[in-house]
Amino acid sequence: MIDSSLHVTAVGAVCAVSVVLMIMGTLWWMTHAPRSRAEQVARVAERVLRQMVGSIIVVFSQEIRSEHMMVLAARLARRERADLLAAYVVEVPFTLPATATMETEDRAALDTLAAAEAIAQKHGVSIRAQTIHGRQTSQAVLDLAKREKANLIVMGSYREAKYMGAPLGRAIEQIANGAKCDVLIGVEGQYGSLLRTESLNGKDASE
Amino acid sequence: MKPAQPSLRRSVTPWGSYSWGYADVGADIFVALGLVFGVAGGASNIAFLFAGLVYVCVGLAYTELAAAYPVAGGGQYFVMRGLGDFLGFIAGWAVLLDFTIDIALFAWGSIGYMSTLIPQLSSTSHPISHFVTVLFVVAALAVLNIVGVRESTAFQGVVSALDMLSETSILFFGFLFAFRPELLIHSMQIGWPTSFQLMNGISLAIISFVGLESISHAAEETQRPASIIPRTSISLILTILIFALSYSNLALGMQPWHTPVGAEGQPFWHFLGTPENADKAVAIMSANIPLFGVLAAVYVPLLGAILLLISSNSGVFGSSRIAYSMSQSRLLPTLFERVHPRYRTPVVSIVAFSGVAIVELIFAALQGSGGFEFLGDLYAFGAAASYTLVFIALMALRINDPLTPRAFKIPFNIPFKYKGEAVDFPLIGALGLVGILSILVFVLITHHIGRIAGPAWIIIGIIFYFIYRKRKGFSLFGSLPRDWQASQIAILREAGELELMDEYVGKLKAREKRIQDEGPQ
Repeated sequence: MIDSSLHVTAVGAVCAVSVVLMIMGTLWWMTHAPRSRAEQVARVAERVLRQMVGSIIVVFSQEIRSEHMMVLAARLARRERADLLAAYVVEVPFTLPATATMETEDRAALDTLAAAEAIAQKHGVSIRAQTIHGRQTSQAVLDLAKREKANLIVMGSYREAKYMGAPLGRAIEQIANGAKCDVLIGVEGQYGSLLRTESLNGKDASE
Repeated sequence: MKPAQPSLRRSVTPWGSYSWGYADVGADIFVALGLVFGVAGGASNIAFLFAGLVYVCVGLAYTELAAAYPVAGGGQYFVMRGLGDFLGFIAGWAVLLDFTIDIALFAWGSIGYMSTLIPQLSSTSHPISHFVTVLFVVAALAVLNIVGVRESTAFQGVVSALDMLSETSILFFGFLFAFRPELLIHSMQIGWPTSFQLMNGISLAIISFVGLESISHAAEETQRPASIIPRTSISLILTILIFALSYSNLALGMQPWHTPVGAEGQPFWHFLGTPENADKAVAIMSANIPLFGVLAAVYVPLLGAILLLISSNSGVFGSSRIAYSMSQSRLLPTLFERVHPRYRTPVVSIVAFSGVAIVELIFAALQGSGGFEFLGDLYAFGAAASYTLVFIALMALRINDPLTPRAFKIPFNIPFKYKGEAVDFPLIGALGLVGILSILVFVLITHHIGRIAGPAWIIIGIIFYFIYRKRKGFSLFGSLPRDWQASQIAILREAGELELMDEYVGKLKAREKRIQDEGPQ
């Protein structure tokens, strides 16, 4: 039962609702200012990033060192809830049969992938790890990316001892050129420290 | 190479910018409602409407200027830039009066609201304990500001959000459960004041709209100020206008749940305006809303007291920063620039203007039951004087500085050419100037203390200014040389308003080219 001292009138009710609507409308308008040019660019970049990181492959090989990029990929995967796959490619020389056992390389692959898993674990993301045998690193990665429908390939870089027309290393350039998705490469600058992952390898990489 | 100067970080979001202003202006209705009802009676809603219309013009002027010149000085900076150092000083000095009154008035109001819960703090029944508590609050705020403890923007944001929710709830339940339109009309008929009282009421109603300045003060820390400030300013204008008009109409047409003690035989709005209740009118009103009043009686006084305390603190902060800024512009002695070696706060400015607030407080206490109104009088004078100069500065800057891009421009302008440049004369600015001048006249006619103390404050300031400028060898009425163009480019670049900076540089180049082309003729 309504208290007898309540004075509910139609005008009062309209005023009550109007006050609330006007205040809410004002605050909504205030918080929806048009975006600046810089903000629009940032927004598009965010959307592109979200689309490109649905499935991420981090590539390792004897020549491609990607531990530092693995950290970046793990952070990205956690934020964007992407699938993460770490792949170590063991190159089988043409002088050996394709199914040849590569004991030393396989062992190195295990170490590297264990480190990748530890990084992923530290960042709270689940990861699949895989060792792949192939005649050519680039082709193996491209095949894997196609099979996994990857949105992004992430890898570190190395510089060839002798310039052979591919400053980032042939395998990396071939992957970048042949991939059907985006490729993120961590390139060491002339005085950079990207590849000095001594704490992971126990020795200075520059040595 | 010269090391980079540290600058304020742009971290204030739209809500942060809004709450900076709201913490100041939002508190005004808590003190203005009772004061206006005390003098304008049944026409209080009309007084708020008139003052509100002037306030809209003031708000639009501030919005345009703060978006065009997003620097921390506020009104004082706009006037100095548009009208020169002397008038810039007067505007800053009038704003300083407002900020010092802000400290005393809101500390008084804060304790007034607390007295709803603790009757021993009432200004009428226990004036000594009330005065001592207010004095203690002002001194404590000064010490806190010297030590550098200030409520954070986040805290201010939370209190502002709670207060908005609370005020909207009071109005919603008040209109829904206790509003009688026929009572509103009846109250206006029986309580219609004399012209003198109405003028007095209008001049007091303007104080419920003072504080928009705070948004300008936070401009240097606001993200994309030229785009955000127009939104936050206009939103603040609308919110406060909605609150002021709604509260005054609700109070006139409100049927209280039960007759409050002491209100027997008098209309509820009349009861709100008595000296015993004027400093806690919103709390009394909310407590008398059916059903909702049970809850509101407990939390509204507390929330009001906190909001008023924040507002009082913003007076300490604002007055010291204005004095610091005026000192940097050589409008005040460099003494006011002195920073505490340990706490890095402008200690001289804080102590000096908190001291002024305490003097004002003592004068108010000497008025007895009229102390709260005395502070209101001075507050209205300071606001009307500084707003008058801001309107003139708006017009002067439209003419003298037409090239500065205005992300927000007051509508309804008269276009004309001045020195080869297209200029828009602001009609609303002229209208606002007439409105605020009339309020200034109302203040001078109706406030017997405001008419003496207000101009006296300005005259003392001018004497002080002349002595300082003469001793330094600066021009008394002229301005020091300043490169406004380079300064404007730097302001826009630092604000991150790159599109506006490009527009400004483009206009400057076009003008240079035009002058070169016209040269040989």
